[in-house]
Amino acid sequence: MIEVLKSTILWASLATLLVMLPGTAIAYLLARHEFAGKKIVSTIFSLPLVLPPTAVGYLLLKFFAVNGPLGRASLGLDLDILLTWKAVVIACAVMAMPLVVRTARISFEGVDPRYESLARTLGHGRLAAFFRYTLPLSARGLLAAMILGFTRAIGEFGATIILAGNIPGKTQTLASAIFSAQQSGDEAEGNILLGIALAVGFTAIFLTEYLSQKQSAVGAQRR
Amino acid sequence: MNSSTRNISTPDTSTHLSVRINVPLDRFDLSVDFQTTHRVTGVFGVSGSGKTTLLETIAGLRRGANGIITLDDAIWLDSARKQWLPPERRDIGYVPQDSLLFPHLDVRANILSGSGRAKKNGVDLDATLDTVTRVLDIGTLLDRSPRTLSGGERQRVALGRALCSGPKLLLLDEPLASLDAGLRRKVLPFLHRVQREFALPMLLVSHNPVEVQVLCEDLIVLREGKIIARGEPRAVLTQPEIFPLAEQEGFENMLSGCVVETRDQTSIVRLGTGDEGPLLTVPRSGMQVGGRLLLSVPANDITLALERPRLLSARNIIQARIEQIQTVGTVRLITVRLADDVPPIVAEVTADAVTELHGAPGTEIFLIIKTSAITLYEDG
Repeated sequence: MIEVLKSTILWASLATLLVMLPGTAIAYLLARHEFAGKKIVSTIFSLPLVLPPTAVGYLLLKFFAVNGPLGRASLGLDLDILLTWKAVVIACAVMAMPLVVRTARISFEGVDPRYESLARTLGHGRLAAFFRYTLPLSARGLLAAMILGFTRAIGEFGATIILAGNIPGKTQTLASAIFSAQQSGDEAEGNILLGIALAVGFTAIFLTEYLSQKQSAVGAQRR
Repeated sequence: MNSSTRNISTPDTSTHLSVRINVPLDRFDLSVDFQTTHRVTGVFGVSGSGKTTLLETIAGLRRGANGIITLDDAIWLDSARKQWLPPERRDIGYVPQDSLLFPHLDVRANILSGSGRAKKNGVDLDATLDTVTRVLDIGTLLDRSPRTLSGGERQRVALGRALCSGPKLLLLDEPLASLDAGLRRKVLPFLHRVQREFALPMLLVSHNPVEVQVLCEDLIVLREGKIIARGEPRAVLTQPEIFPLAEQEGFENMLSGCVVETRDQTSIVRLGTGDEGPLLTVPRSGMQVGGRLLLSVPANDITLALERPRLLSARNIIQARIEQIQTVGTVRLITVRLADDVPPIVAEVTADAVTELHGAPGTEIFLIIKTSAITLYEDG
């Protein structure tokens, strides 16, 4: 059981790391720039939020299948993803993407773009202005995005089970372990796993509530 | 002027700013063509006349302008040659209306947030920081968070931040507009000190006739994106076609003088720079005898008389000579001179009154000014 929790946390962390950098970049782009097809980009990155997770898993399966665009036949090498821990990480990352992008975007939108303009009049280039001023000012929101993404990854089930399966000791996660416990009628194990899931979820949401309150307080004092 | 002040820029060379641009806006085009070598050039106009757009275009914060902007040899914009210098390479100091202090940094870090460029431009940062702290009186604020500052303090810090970034041109966008009247009276003298102590060219955007008269040597009036008048601020603002606009925005005659006596409720100020100027009784000032004061009097709070009136409650009866009479709508603007070293002031009276006074340029006349009509600005 501890093994399941440990590997779930490890995979969810890797998925969060995988998603944060591109997720933040896309969120910044959506928050600060106008470009053709912006709504389409925004929609695509929100899609995993509304699609059945199994549909996302199925779509990923098609990508990584032998004949898919990222399969052995197209790449010329086998990434060995399907039914491994890598598949868990990828499924979790894709499913966490919408929450990360949306939360990070709101966080960037809450920072007055004029801070960046002003930084540039002080001699800072675009990148320096972003890293020195916009990033610290949106840090709480980005942390909230990370926590939400992490929690989403912890709870991921539908896409994971299609892409990685539910192999005890190999690809089983907290979510799929609860499923197995319920299916096999192991109520004691199910209850413990449920307790763990509740604790993780509650802590994460509570933290983000706390962070968003602090962020809006900063925003209010600015005016 | 002490040696540290000179570290900010060289006082002997005047900077040449040349702006010839066209910026399409929603209701009109901002279309201006001007050059200036003055220390402080003002841009005056009602809100929506294109002032901020002009400033943001010069700062490089707004794209989409056609034309040319140069500061001395540096080309900031030349749209025909597709040249555009980003704001971080224009060496400007920008002070926005709402200060925009970085909320995650304390006051000291805010003030030093442009220090990288200052060093690159060869500025002695320690000396500059000392001067800025002294002139703006922000020494006690350095370790505080911007959140805890009052509006006036925030604007002073924003000014300090711009001054410590090694700029070659200071751009001020309505630096006092976000403050209430009381605070504005307190912060204006700081701006005045910056103007006198730093040999730094400035472009000041403002809709406040008092500010532009105190700070600017040269004034450009904008209306719907076009320059409609330009010249010495007081002369421009009292032009018949500009005066209604200036008055609507709170035009007042600006005078300066030296405190010669303080009483219980009033202070006596000698106007002008010499020992001969007329005396004026003003509301009591915190300034000691010998200190200089800026003060203002609204044009319609001045009464004129042909003979010296007697037994009057008003404290100030000053002899003057009519220089000019102008008609603005139904009223007349009478420009009078009090003394050679005091700038002329204008009184606003009705057309009938002028007829009854038999006023004509050259006529000796008496000005009657109630002490309570005078606003003081402590001058550092």
